[in-house]
Amino acid sequence: MLDWIRGVFSNPAVQSAVRVTFIMAFASTAISSGIGIAAGLWLQKHNFFGKRVIIRINRTLMGVPPVVIGLLVYLLTMRGGPLGPLSLLFTVRGMILAQVLIITPIISGMVYSYAAGAVPAIQEFAITMGADKRQTNRLIISELRNEIYFCIIAGFGRAISEVGSVMLVGGNIKGHTRTMTTMISLLKSQGIYSEGIGLGLMLLLIAFILQTLGDYLRKEEVRNENY
Amino acid sequence: MRITELRKKVGGMEIHVPDLRIESGRIHGLVGPNGCGKTTLLKMIMGIIRPDSGTVDFEGLRPTDITMTSQRPYLMRASVYDNIVYPLKIRGAGIDQGEIDDLLERTGLLPHKHQYAGSLSSGERQKLSFLRAIVFHPSMILVDETFSNLDPDSEALFREMILERREKDGAAWLIVSHQWDRMNSIFDEIHHMEKGRIVKRDGNLNGAIK
Repeated sequence: MLDWIRGVFSNPAVQSAVRVTFIMAFASTAISSGIGIAAGLWLQKHNFFGKRVIIRINRTLMGVPPVVIGLLVYLLTMRGGPLGPLSLLFTVRGMILAQVLIITPIISGMVYSYAAGAVPAIQEFAITMGADKRQTNRLIISELRNEIYFCIIAGFGRAISEVGSVMLVGGNIKGHTRTMTTMISLLKSQGIYSEGIGLGLMLLLIAFILQTLGDYLRKEEVRNENY
Repeated sequence: MRITELRKKVGGMEIHVPDLRIESGRIHGLVGPNGCGKTTLLKMIMGIIRPDSGTVDFEGLRPTDITMTSQRPYLMRASVYDNIVYPLKIRGAGIDQGEIDDLLERTGLLPHKHQYAGSLSSGERQKLSFLRAIVFHPSMILVDETFSNLDPDSEALFREMILERREKDGAAWLIVSHQWDRMNSIFDEIHHMEKGRIVKRDGNLNGAIK
């Protein structure tokens, strides 16, 4: 068993796929978290005409099939497309762009939902304590930290398991844009199961770790009975 | 603090308080049936709810000198200790560990000092909320049914602590309570509220309610 694991992960192609997957997942989650958390909190804080429509669009985008986003990014980044001069097609940067478009609405939508439920009570509390604007904002972030972590984990989980859009935008180029999921897909079509199973198990292990972390954070959330 | 012609429409009812004066060093009770507007009035004073019209003149008090506790208090996701010292921290005030421990000891919360505040019982949460409100010695304290889940002994202790604070800090208190038969021993004045209006005022300077 140990020899088999060593054999699978000593393969340079597998190592490259793991590396590309993590670079893509970490980078896209970091960018999406920055945009999504800020957007979710901003949406909760401000009331304006059309807010409901924005929220509905956000929720629609949360469930959009990744392959559709992949197609959109492909069309944008292809040679004749508006982003063609940036040469993003068939690069990890292009894959990150697609992932950001997929994950950002998920994170912003989740953050907004959590904030809509919790922030009014936190703001009331902050007023009664005499907190100023800056202190109130810090308190909101601090009180929502578990939910925010959970949203980031959910985004990362989505990024690491995605196939459709990265296949379209990245092109599944060996040693360059091939990720763990696209490699599994390719290996299966070639009838090579051993390495595919190894990568699959690794993805399962990552999903298990993310789930465990998510459960822990949700447990903390349940323990708090403020809202 | 003086309220003048304060109005707020809530649902089908209008809260209208033409004139209400809360003086330093006095304990005011606010009583009335559920849904008569007591909490909304307190929230308007605190600045949580904006009135439709009218003024709340704090006569020199700053918003940071006023605080409010409620029946279902918000507790930070932190320890009991962190909750208590929060108002001191945001004011950059020094933390008197002796005073904090004394408050916790008196209210039976000392064994829970480093416990997660969310795991406290509802009565303990109300105790913690009360301590957090008085720890920074505010000039005005609005209490919204904070004693509803307390046992009679704890309630008596809190009455004692309110009187102590009144003597020590000269703070003004406005207390919403359904246990006013027990609380009236400390009230200097009781305001009876019905359907959004203060319909009757009782009391004298000696704290003996007429």
